[in-house]
Amino acid sequence: MSASLLVLIPLLPLIGFLINGIGFRRIPRGAVGIIGSLAALGSFAVSVVVLMAFKEAGSTPQVVSLFDWISVGELSIPFSFQIDQLSLLMLMIVTGVGSLIHVYSAGYMKEDEGFGKFFAFLNLFLFFMLLLVMGSNYVIMFIGWEGVGLCSYLLIGFWNKNTDYNNAARKAFIMNRIGDLGFLLGIFTIIGTFGSVEFTEVFRQATGLPVGDPVVVVITLLLFVGATGKSAQIPLFTWLPDAMAGPTPVSALIHAATMVTAGIYMVIRSNVLFTLAPATLEVVAIIGTATALLAASIGLLQNDIKKVLAYSTVSQLGYMFLALGVMAYSASMFHVITHAFFKALLFLGAGSVIHAMSGEQDIRFMGGLRKKLPITFITFLIGTIAIAGIPPFAGFFSKDEILAHAFEHNKVLWVLGLLGSIMTSFYMFRLLFLTFFGSFRGTHEQAHHLHESPTSMTLPLIVLAVFSALGGFMGVPEVLGGTHQLATFMSPLYEGARQVNPAAFAATTLSHSEEYLLMGISVVAALVAALAAYVVYVRRDSVPAPETQERPALQRVIYHKYYIDELYDAVFVKPIRTLSALLFSFGEFFIDLVVNGTGTLVKVLSGQLRRTQTGSTGYYIFAMVVGIVLILFWNLLLR
Amino acid sequence: MYPIVLLSVLGIVVLFLGFMKSKSVLLPATLLFLVLALASNFIDWNQGKVLYFYEMLAVNNLTLAFNAIVLVSAFMIVAMTRGFQDQEEAQPAEYYGIMLFSLVGAFMIIGYEHLIMLFVGIEILSVSMYILTGSDKSNLRSNEAALKYFLMGAFATGIMLFGIALLYGATGSFNLTDIQSYVSIQGRGVSYILYAGLLLLLIGMLFKVSAAPFHFWTPDVYDGAPTIFTTFMSTIVKTAGFAAIFRLLSHSFTPIYSFWWITLAAITVLTLLVGNIIAVYQNSFKRMLAYSSISHAGYLLIAVTSLSPQTENAILFYSLAYSIATISAFGVLMLVSKKKALEGQVDESYAAFNGLAAQNPLLAFVLAVSMLSLAGIPLTAGFWGKFFVFGSAVERGLVWMLVVAVLMSAVGIYYYFRAIIAAYLKEGDIGKIRIAPFYRIILVVATAMTILFGLAPGIFEKLL
Amino acid sequence: MMQQTPPIPEIIQAIPLQSYLILSTALFVIGIIGVLTRRNAIVIFMSIELMLNAANLLLIAFSSYKSDASGQVFVFFIMAVAAAEVAVGLAIIVMIYRNTRTIDVGFLNKLKW
Repeated sequence: MSASLLVLIPLLPLIGFLINGIGFRRIPRGAVGIIGSLAALGSFAVSVVVLMAFKEAGSTPQVVSLFDWISVGELSIPFSFQIDQLSLLMLMIVTGVGSLIHVYSAGYMKEDEGFGKFFAFLNLFLFFMLLLVMGSNYVIMFIGWEGVGLCSYLLIGFWNKNTDYNNAARKAFIMNRIGDLGFLLGIFTIIGTFGSVEFTEVFRQATGLPVGDPVVVVITLLLFVGATGKSAQIPLFTWLPDAMAGPTPVSALIHAATMVTAGIYMVIRSNVLFTLAPATLEVVAIIGTATALLAASIGLLQNDIKKVLAYSTVSQLGYMFLALGVMAYSASMFHVITHAFFKALLFLGAGSVIHAMSGEQDIRFMGGLRKKLPITFITFLIGTIAIAGIPPFAGFFSKDEILAHAFEHNKVLWVLGLLGSIMTSFYMFRLLFLTFFGSFRGTHEQAHHLHESPTSMTLPLIVLAVFSALGGFMGVPEVLGGTHQLATFMSPLYEGARQVNPAAFAATTLSHSEEYLLMGISVVAALVAALAAYVVYVRRDSVPAPETQERPALQRVIYHKYYIDELYDAVFVKPIRTLSALLFSFGEFFIDLVVNGTGTLVKVLSGQLRRTQTGSTGYYIFAMVVGIVLILFWNLLLR
Repeated sequence: MYPIVLLSVLGIVVLFLGFMKSKSVLLPATLLFLVLALASNFIDWNQGKVLYFYEMLAVNNLTLAFNAIVLVSAFMIVAMTRGFQDQEEAQPAEYYGIMLFSLVGAFMIIGYEHLIMLFVGIEILSVSMYILTGSDKSNLRSNEAALKYFLMGAFATGIMLFGIALLYGATGSFNLTDIQSYVSIQGRGVSYILYAGLLLLLIGMLFKVSAAPFHFWTPDVYDGAPTIFTTFMSTIVKTAGFAAIFRLLSHSFTPIYSFWWITLAAITVLTLLVGNIIAVYQNSFKRMLAYSSISHAGYLLIAVTSLSPQTENAILFYSLAYSIATISAFGVLMLVSKKKALEGQVDESYAAFNGLAAQNPLLAFVLAVSMLSLAGIPLTAGFWGKFFVFGSAVERGLVWMLVVAVLMSAVGIYYYFRAIIAAYLKEGDIGKIRIAPFYRIILVVATAMTILFGLAPGIFEKLL
Repeated sequence: MMQQTPPIPEIIQAIPLQSYLILSTALFVIGIIGVLTRRNAIVIFMSIELMLNAANLLLIAFSSYKSDASGQVFVFFIMAVAAAEVAVGLAIIVMIYRNTRTIDVGFLNKLKW
């Protein structure tokens, strides 16, 4: 594979960034979108060519070294790209979904005055994301990692010109920085342990270590801290829902399909190290499950269309980490792929709805949109079915595989995972029904304004809907008569891991009947939850109370003869609602308190510390003398 | 050695040029002299270690590289003075002369082999700075800064001299190599006089690079001095000062590393905390940069404290990245505050940048890149500076220090990004700022260097 | 007559080195205390000069005890540099006096925080 071809992949978006970034004042609006989209599409085309060439050449991973980058003492870091199954899959997602979202943005952001800047940032993001997934060592990965964080910061704050401080953007950046601290320390520990940051070299050396080696446990824990920041896991997840302040295509691209999966990519990339550290995997599985549940339960009660999707993303990311924790790396990647399809679809669909509603995001003021927005409705429906895990749509296969692996590993994890998937199905159908069914609850003007979106927006929706519907067939499990092409494709990635811990990669011990049973249970559960949502939100046509209004008092309920509803409410909804509110307050409030508290602490400290700078020379010299005396006293008398 | 001789003579030449009627020849002449000095600097390149001036000055590739950084920074700063045309009271010839002389001091402390050289070099550098700080004679802030700097600087000199005297008493020599052989023979059994001497000498030098708790002069002096000289101080004095500290510790006192590292580590952490945390509260961009320079002293001290084989590279690269970014940040500040001053308001706060991007995209970009570099965001030179520094700390096993440093660099994001936010996201009304062509070239080159070294830090290695 | 006067190093060495060390340290500390307690810029400056002279004294003592001339050479450098410093320092003080009619450092606290 020629290096020049590979270089094109990240280079095209960079060129797009430079053109749009430098000339965003002069380039006409029409050209901006075309240049930006072409950069992404070109990059996608090259990726496809590379994938073909890779398969033709016998699927052997290779490292293409571009130039010697830095050498410090013993450590030398080349600037090189690693092309193997994992990076290719990520390339396809990033450039493929990325291109669709670029095309979509050309329609969605057309009216925005920062159109050129927006595309420049979007291209820059693609560039960094491609560096992240293509780099052949941890340093390049880290650069991409920081770069996407920076772009995410810029894009979240894109619409907030006049607010003094864009809290959402800042929060995202700070939380990511906390994660990055872990990642950076992990990299330095890797350098200290292995003397290299090249993936191939590190993993080659790692295969010689025993399982449970304490250094590797430390490294993997540090890397995982990085992953929790970027992939929005407990405790660093609260930035993601807030990040919805950015334009919707950004939420779709960065905060659903690509950037937030970087943590999963990193863990799969380091699968040798993680396999060596069962203790870390245990932590990963627990955090993943907890996040999946926590976020899903919060999602049950959100009324902002994008917030629901955001919590859903956090929750789905939790599933991916659960899969990683039980060493189902391929299943996790499978879910990354299918999730990229249906979550991008859902976000873009939401964008289409918001576009039609002239900016309204509250689902309490929507309803009955399916007639006005038919394409959006159908594609959204497909996305919802896919995420709920109803066969034969994409989400079913990937989620089911994760749950099966979880079952094998630990029954409790499976039960919790199932619970999460019931909630997922419920809140997603709730969202669907409240938005598209019933009667319109918005203002008159909005009703008048309702329209289907332009082709540049619906086209990506249709493409993504097709993938969401059919994407699962790349990983049909054996039990359903498939060969699981994806797992076969990815299998060479785990050679090193298999070597150090063969038991973990043994064939499944589940019998076919057990697998059928598991699938049956999860499908039925999802269907029941969907039905419940249907009963509550379509048949009974209930709409969540507006925030200003107190929850209906008992008399009112009797007056409204919603006795059955109330029973249902008391038995099923109330406890969940309380729990959800509790978890919400834990999640949002407590964690935010810590993060914001730290910020405030620094500020207060700063305000106090700066008073040491009194302006008086005598005081300064006095402070210096005190310093000198302390240093001398301690060094000469106390030691 | 050649730049020392050359600039001593050419500095006097500049003073004489000042007698001419036309002041316009001064700036090109000074720039030419700096280029000459830079060229002469490389005569000794790749000669190994050469000793000059009765073995009182050493020259090797490391010292030459430091000299080069200082000269390049000086060139940029001098180019930004634009001949001091817009100040009526200014004495351009004297300023240029003093700047050239102060560079001689910087070269002396970069390559000293004998403590007399260190002392004289530091004094040349400091006394020049006292004068430049107070050069805005009718401005009370400038006056105050000069007096504070002078009193505290002289005090620090006293401390340092007493340290040197004690060192001399213990080792019987001022020569670094002699001191080194004395220390390595005696090991940790050296007398207390030597310990006290080393500590006092170090304190004197740490004062010059504004390490806490000897940093108090920095914010006030940087704030009060004319911005162009603040730039000079915060880049050249710092680079030379760190070269000197590194030289002293790596050359003579490695055998008693176990003695001094704890003190230095404590000072490092304190410096990082003080610099970064107080910077958060500042509203003045200029004053923020002063605290930022304290915090960067902290990062550089990490490298010195860890004293690993990587350290010299780390310090070199960090100084370069820091100097370039600082120069371009101050460069933008000078243009903007001058524009504001023409409109009758002296404004060096963040708010001065409000809306900068709208009509001055180049300036906003230069500012953004320099802030990103100072904050250590990847693909800027500053990132690699921090990377190398942190790498040398890991090599020494100082992971706890690394944790503090990374946390503090997260705090740094806060105050550096404020400038970017002001320039790009806030509404403001700055008209189009006219930039002299040469000034523009300097800004562009500095920004390009920051990005280039950020993309390919290996180039820097190749240059060496 | 001339022969009876011993050479200077011997005179210096008539007093033990310890005493020189103590004396110069005392002078040094007195200088520091002067800097800390005085508010007049010139007096502060004089105290700093005292600190420098303490260092000079120490250097001379060590120099003659070690029979090594370089310590005395250093003293010359210190004196020369100190003179330069005085010139600049006094200029600064005069400049301040012109502008504010005072040289009390306590009044100089416009720059702070």
